[in-house]
Amino acid sequence: MHPLFALMDAHSSHHGHIIEISGDLPDAGRKICGEAPCGFSDAGSISLDSKERSTSMRKLLVAVILCVIFMTVELVGGIKANSLAILTDAAHLLSDVAAFAISLFSLWAAGWEATPRQSYGFYRIEILGALVSIQLIWLLTGIIVYQAIDRLITGSQEVDGFLMFIVAAFGLVVNIIMAVLLGHDHGHGHGHDHGHGHHGHSHGLTVSTHDLTKDEHHHHTHEHGHDTHHHNENHSKDAHHHSHEGHIHHHGQEGVTEPLLGESKDKSKKKRNINVQGAYLHVLGDSIQSVGVMIGGAVIWYKPEWKIVDLICTLFFSLIVLGTTINMLRNILEVLMESTPREIDATQLERGILEMEEVVAVHELHIWAITVGKVLLACHVKINRDADADMVLDKVVDYIRRVYNISHVTIQIER
Amino acid sequence: MTMEPIQTLNGDFGFTGNDRRFAFSRQASFQQPRTPISTDSTDLGLRKPFLSRTDSSIDIPPPGPHHHYWSGHDDKPSGSLERSNFSSFVLSVFRNIRSGHRYMKRLFFMISLNVAYSTVELLIGLFTGRVGLVSDAVHLTFGCGLLTFSLFVMGASRKKPDGDYTYGYKRLEVLSAFTNALFLLFMSFSLAVEALHAFIQDESEHKHYLNVSAVTNLFVNLIGVWFFRNYARINLAYRNAEDMNCHSVFLHVLTDSIRSAGLILASWLLSIGVENAEVLCLGLVSVAVFTLVLPLFRATGGILLQMAPPSIPTTAFSKCLRQISAREDILEVSQARFWELVPGHVVGSLSIQVKKGVDDRPILEFVHRLYHDFGVQDLTVQIDHAS
Repeated sequence: MHPLFALMDAHSSHHGHIIEISGDLPDAGRKICGEAPCGFSDAGSISLDSKERSTSMRKLLVAVILCVIFMTVELVGGIKANSLAILTDAAHLLSDVAAFAISLFSLWAAGWEATPRQSYGFYRIEILGALVSIQLIWLLTGIIVYQAIDRLITGSQEVDGFLMFIVAAFGLVVNIIMAVLLGHDHGHGHGHDHGHGHHGHSHGLTVSTHDLTKDEHHHHTHEHGHDTHHHNENHSKDAHHHSHEGHIHHHGQEGVTEPLLGESKDKSKKKRNINVQGAYLHVLGDSIQSVGVMIGGAVIWYKPEWKIVDLICTLFFSLIVLGTTINMLRNILEVLMESTPREIDATQLERGILEMEEVVAVHELHIWAITVGKVLLACHVKINRDADADMVLDKVVDYIRRVYNISHVTIQIER
Repeated sequence: MTMEPIQTLNGDFGFTGNDRRFAFSRQASFQQPRTPISTDSTDLGLRKPFLSRTDSSIDIPPPGPHHHYWSGHDDKPSGSLERSNFSSFVLSVFRNIRSGHRYMKRLFFMISLNVAYSTVELLIGLFTGRVGLVSDAVHLTFGCGLLTFSLFVMGASRKKPDGDYTYGYKRLEVLSAFTNALFLLFMSFSLAVEALHAFIQDESEHKHYLNVSAVTNLFVNLIGVWFFRNYARINLAYRNAEDMNCHSVFLHVLTDSIRSAGLILASWLLSIGVENAEVLCLGLVSVAVFTLVLPLFRATGGILLQMAPPSIPTTAFSKCLRQISAREDILEVSQARFWELVPGHVVGSLSIQVKKGVDDRPILEFVHRLYHDFGVQDLTVQIDHAS
């Protein structure tokens, strides 16, 4: 998660390239995003997002092109050999292309700028695109099952086991290539981040640089020893947190960022973009089906009278394919239902806020995600009548940001 | 058949009961001489700003009585991230169906009818070896599955909010409507492919025995259209979550009946010798289904995308923001974001920066009241004091 401010360009840091200042107010930037349209994220996370998105888009584009090539090969071969099985497989690859196209579109659309009608940006399109993709998988699985039943009923004698086997094997190889391509998550994408010196943006560590005068103001307004500018190390949320004094801001960002980038690279590697994951699932499902058809084809080739094996195999492997989609479907559903993300324990968070002195009650706590990984929080906190609202606000926001790594927080303080 | 009462008009912005885009407008025009006062007064009770001068506003009053807020104290002391057991959830939903409202009962009846019909068709098709019947039965089963999901959602959406789903389960209705709309779009696409197929293929392969099944299908679906006739609009103004779900069910049965009618028409035209009848009819049906479903798809998609509520124009929002920043102790308003949980339930958040030392309570009340008049029930306002 990225806090509301980031370092745009190390070289011009002493100029006004600071995005988080709202108006002329010294410490406002920390809590309020001052950007005019104020899309959901700041420029820092936008550039990280777009990087991740462009790598994903590149992968998907290569996959689509490969798919189209294979599809035309199968189409030509099928027409030449006049085989329905090959043509059916070509149609199947067409569905793959459709799924990839949906994922590509979702990825591209998710990067659109926020508009007044879409105040949170277009990140949700990712989730909807993934939902459509999974529906497509389910639909195709249903069609495949129907076709198997159809083959059984029409008692077609032209079920050539050998041909089935060959076509399925070819399909399997194609799918494996694409699965490797989509799932291939080495540090290619992330290697760009810290390699280029000119791009001072460090995605693990983000530091704000204000003018020194503003720092001083900052320190004067807060008596408690809490840190004012937060370094958001991108490791586990309940880990240790550093508190540096204000003087650290202008000194060697490079020096501070290097050791932490390793951890951030780790974390980003695990989290695959949901659309790429959807495409990957599609390809995986196809491979599983191909294996099923291969087994069925081999059995029929060996013993042509056991035609029912085809249907049984198809049913069995279709169930497996549906099973692989369950997990992702659950994630999608949870986001679309605005439910509390799994990695955050809302009761513990509420208890943590209640434990602070001056806080009397917490109600209407809502934590939800705009897409997997981008979490927002809103709640009403009731405090003692004579408490300092600003101080409590600072503490609560800091606590949530530090421990739970949620930076888009809106807290209403009531007395 | 008794008339449906007008449901609560949350967030009503100048839509009167006569607005034809509402689901019950026809009944409304009958009912108005009889019960204009009762419905209106309940609405007024909700819409009147409940902070008048005579109120001693010690507390920001909680929003309307129809919301139930989850608090951590209500939860079981497990404190873990355990989601509720799926099977117990399903059982509770079926219990809800038995005590459900009239659309749930009608939907249940329709689904049973469909299941019975498709089973019969499947068996006949299997025994006589007619593939067309089997494929029709399978297609019907797909549709049934979707309708069952809609029914399930109608029951499930009444669950109270809990620790994991702090906004409750009403979103499920929007999701079900979206899934239905998506399926119908897929169907329109597949009908277009079928039309193409018929264009390429020889027309003599048209399966005339399917006529019987098409007629029965049409009959069954027309029953469904009659049941859900209150939702017989293309551009419906949705007032609550159930509207979307029921509208999607209506569109589902309507498109099914159009499809059956198209098949019957094609068969008849072919028998009197019209060329390319099947292509024409299937193409027409495909286009019709697409245009019918697209508005629902866009509306549900908009809600799922966290779009700003379409019922509140952007000018209204900017007017609100201007009114807030016009106050002398407010320095800046930012991060104003609004979205709809379900149609009629708007959630929002904004950040206000005020001068130092200003009492935040009157500002909070002012802002809440301002937005409440627009139908934003859940609002979280963060006030920062400038230093």
